[in-house]
Amino acid sequence: MKQSTFIKKILASLFAVLICSAVFGLVRARTIESVTFLMAAPFADATRDLVKQFNQEHRGEINLQVVRGPLETEAMSDLAISSLLLGKAPFDGLLMDVTWLPKYAAAGWMEPLEDFFNEKDVDALAIGAREGNSYDGHLYRWPLTADMGLLYYRTDLMEQPPATPEELVLVSQSLQKDRKVDWGYVWQGRQYEGLSCVYLEMIDGFGGDWLQPNNNHIGLDLDPGVQAAAWLQELIDQGVSPNAVTNYAEPEALQSFKVGDAAFMRNWPYAWTELQKSDSAVKGNVGITTMVARPGHSTATLGSWGLTVLKGSAHVNASIEAIRFLTNESSQKQLFLNHGYTPTQQSVFDDPQLLQDKPILAEFGQALKVVKARPETPLYAQISDVLTRQLSSILTRETTPKDGMNVATSHTNQILISAGEKL
Amino acid sequence: MNRRFLIALLLLWSLGPLLWQVYTSFCSDQALIQPFVSNDHRWTLIHYQNVLNANPPFWRYLINSLIVGATSTFLCLVLALPAAYALNRIPRQLSVLTRLALVGAALFPYVLLFLALLELARALNLGNQLLALSLPYAALSQPLAILLLNSAFNDLPPELEDAAKLEGLSLFQRFRWILIPLISPATASTAILVFLFSWNEYPIALTWISDSNKLTLPVAMARIAGSSIYSVPYGAYAAATVLGSIPLVLLVLIFQKPIVSGLTSGAVKG
Amino acid sequence: MTVFLLLPSLLFLLVVFVGPLFRYAWLSFHADSVMTGLIAIPNGGANWLRLVQDQRYWQDLGQTLRFAGVSVGLELFLALIIALLLDQRWRGRDLVRTLALIPWALPTTVMALGWRWIFNTPYGPIDYFTNLVGIGSLNILGDPNLTWMATVWADVWKTTPFAALILLAGLQTIPVDLYEAVRLEGGNPLICLRRITLPLLRPYILLALLFRLAQAFGVFDLIQVLTGGGPASSTESVALYAYWNALRFLDFGYSSTIIMASFLLISVICLIAWIGLQILIPTHSKSRGVIKS
Repeated sequence: MKQSTFIKKILASLFAVLICSAVFGLVRARTIESVTFLMAAPFADATRDLVKQFNQEHRGEINLQVVRGPLETEAMSDLAISSLLLGKAPFDGLLMDVTWLPKYAAAGWMEPLEDFFNEKDVDALAIGAREGNSYDGHLYRWPLTADMGLLYYRTDLMEQPPATPEELVLVSQSLQKDRKVDWGYVWQGRQYEGLSCVYLEMIDGFGGDWLQPNNNHIGLDLDPGVQAAAWLQELIDQGVSPNAVTNYAEPEALQSFKVGDAAFMRNWPYAWTELQKSDSAVKGNVGITTMVARPGHSTATLGSWGLTVLKGSAHVNASIEAIRFLTNESSQKQLFLNHGYTPTQQSVFDDPQLLQDKPILAEFGQALKVVKARPETPLYAQISDVLTRQLSSILTRETTPKDGMNVATSHTNQILISAGEKL
Repeated sequence: MNRRFLIALLLLWSLGPLLWQVYTSFCSDQALIQPFVSNDHRWTLIHYQNVLNANPPFWRYLINSLIVGATSTFLCLVLALPAAYALNRIPRQLSVLTRLALVGAALFPYVLLFLALLELARALNLGNQLLALSLPYAALSQPLAILLLNSAFNDLPPELEDAAKLEGLSLFQRFRWILIPLISPATASTAILVFLFSWNEYPIALTWISDSNKLTLPVAMARIAGSSIYSVPYGAYAAATVLGSIPLVLLVLIFQKPIVSGLTSGAVKG
Repeated sequence: MTVFLLLPSLLFLLVVFVGPLFRYAWLSFHADSVMTGLIAIPNGGANWLRLVQDQRYWQDLGQTLRFAGVSVGLELFLALIIALLLDQRWRGRDLVRTLALIPWALPTTVMALGWRWIFNTPYGPIDYFTNLVGIGSLNILGDPNLTWMATVWADVWKTTPFAALILLAGLQTIPVDLYEAVRLEGGNPLICLRRITLPLLRPYILLALLFRLAQAFGVFDLIQVLTGGGPASSTESVALYAYWNALRFLDFGYSSTIIMASFLLISVICLIAWIGLQILIPTHSKSRGVIKS
């Protein structure tokens, strides 16, 4: 009798323990906040280890998941916008390109972040990385990587990189004549956002301006604008750049430079790491500098990506935690060392150990100091579209630089007027 | 005109591009860039591995498309069968007008409807739900379905139904036991055509679904097209193309009779 | 009673086909964009005025019409040949017919990726072939003069089987005796075609023509995946432009205007095509002899 009661007691207590732990587990499970970030494919891949680290450190509290979106920036934005337009977006955070910010902010899709990042945090960022994170007086985006357009050159083929557009052409032509390379300069000439980045560096380099959002002054049809377009067209005419460059995006230009077919390339910092890999024909022979320009006008287009929190997210605080982790010093060091992504924290740029291991970091820091942002307006997508359309016509010799830029200006005007920005 | 030659040309033209994709999908990246590389470096299964092991896995898209296709077909038939039957019982002028309107609707390029449908999805919170997609799909395939089923009903001798009425069968019973079984070939044709339409539809699926786990096949393919970081990603693309095509090729081969008869009778009566 | 049978279907049809047209008409007279906070504010005819002056729309329209016209024309021509081929009975005909249907059954976006590779310069088979015959490398997907042809080719490949089936259905309704009669009167196949086949086939050609024209006008999937609208926007279609205005520029008011205008235009074009076909292929009267008429 006593034995069976004893067994019953054991069973009962085991059962009780089971129930308790189940309830406990359920309660704990409910308190694990699941945070989802949407990132373009390369970033999703690059941050995979960091995400794992974060989840380990916050086990039981926060679970960060990264959804891998398309590679091409425009496709990525289309995806994000469709999600946002449908109402409840299935993400808490979005890795955002610098040019989308005004549009998304004006549409009211983002959570302001001033309460979470104070002045001290902002001051810790490198100066160039502070651009493009705010709109209309609110902070909406915390930068993850500070991209800028760079001119890559072959150190084994020249002593110093060229400083002006004319020099670049001369150097290219002489190298091509000596059959050292097939092509002089490869860049992004396809009709897409990358072409706007290329053009911005050139129009600024010739001393002009694309669009000033405060007074809506358009500089495309003025001399520097036309000269910039003409210079790009002549690169193809003179054979410095291949015909196919009109269909090149970053991967194609990189491929061409990587196998040694070109003396110069315009690309983002990530390309540096790709060029140092074992399958690169130019490993160890690559240098970088800012784009060629009239003296004193050398610029680099700002291409930073940053993390934002979407309005209506149920996990704002957890998302901020994740953002802080992904952008802290050690994460940035990892991203830089393993994937070549430019850091945003000034302290990382000044890190002596890092500078010793990868001296290229100093070059990146220098380039970041002269970044120029593309026009910050919610209408950016449209005006960029107009510009790339005309540029593509010019590059494929469908129209002259002067005519093309005139059309671009009048269309841009039309857009500004019908949006009520201009009268 | 040598007939055999023409037939061969037809087959080459119809199947050539697809076969080229099959060939490409088994080629290593190296072989794609250098066509004359030696045979040891040529063949590989890695593209298929990449596609099948991607996140989310490829079969997920096929399942999503299957779910949407099945529910759309079912809903479409539920709506169209009664309507097709009723079309014969309304006054003549009205029915002619309706038929004309249906033909017009069948011709309509439905892409243009994407914006209004997107607003509908926003207003009724139908976004990112596979079952919700069956609503626009069923609606868009109504015109064709009604016309096909209506002509099938027309072909039935009226005595059959009169006899059933005399025996005291209600409308629902007549439907269930007599009418629907008798037009089952036409129903099958309609079903497969609607299923194909839902499977291949792109603009509405693109705007209504953004969650990558819920994508249907065409939208997933388009997204794959934009996602590769390699400058020559065509091996992986080819593998995805082949995998995406297999279900449809099978469908066509298995259901060839209903498909052909559906299209031809639709043409004859339309 | 019958009303209840029709009602559900009617409801769906109204919501999906008629509702949008009214909505577009209404929205086109409003400003509804990111600049208005995505709220519709009446702005009179400003969108329409903008559309009239929008060079890009008219260029897209021209490109879309060029695409639709060439594509549909080519398709019907090829479809007729294929239908004539499949009309006769030979061994394996059913299998060939099924295999020829496969292009039509594949989703456009799936095969568009395949076409990107086939037309790729410098690694695709077309490039290899043009180099082999001495034409050299044609930058097919990068040359504004050539890319639209690639899109036409891809579209023709996909939709010809459908048109062929429709024409085949028509061919099979033509009584064989008519051909016999012509042969007895001493006619040749060409006369058969002109006097019998085409006139009797006219309703089917009309169906295929109108259907394909309307669908081709709305081309979207193919362009988005194969070319993205480029190069130099030479392949951009009106549907793509409307889509971008809505989903990229967040300008719903203007997008509605584009869609409304395009819908009106395609209706007019279909009407013109219908009339044109009546004129091109007159029906012959059965009372007169075939060759004499």
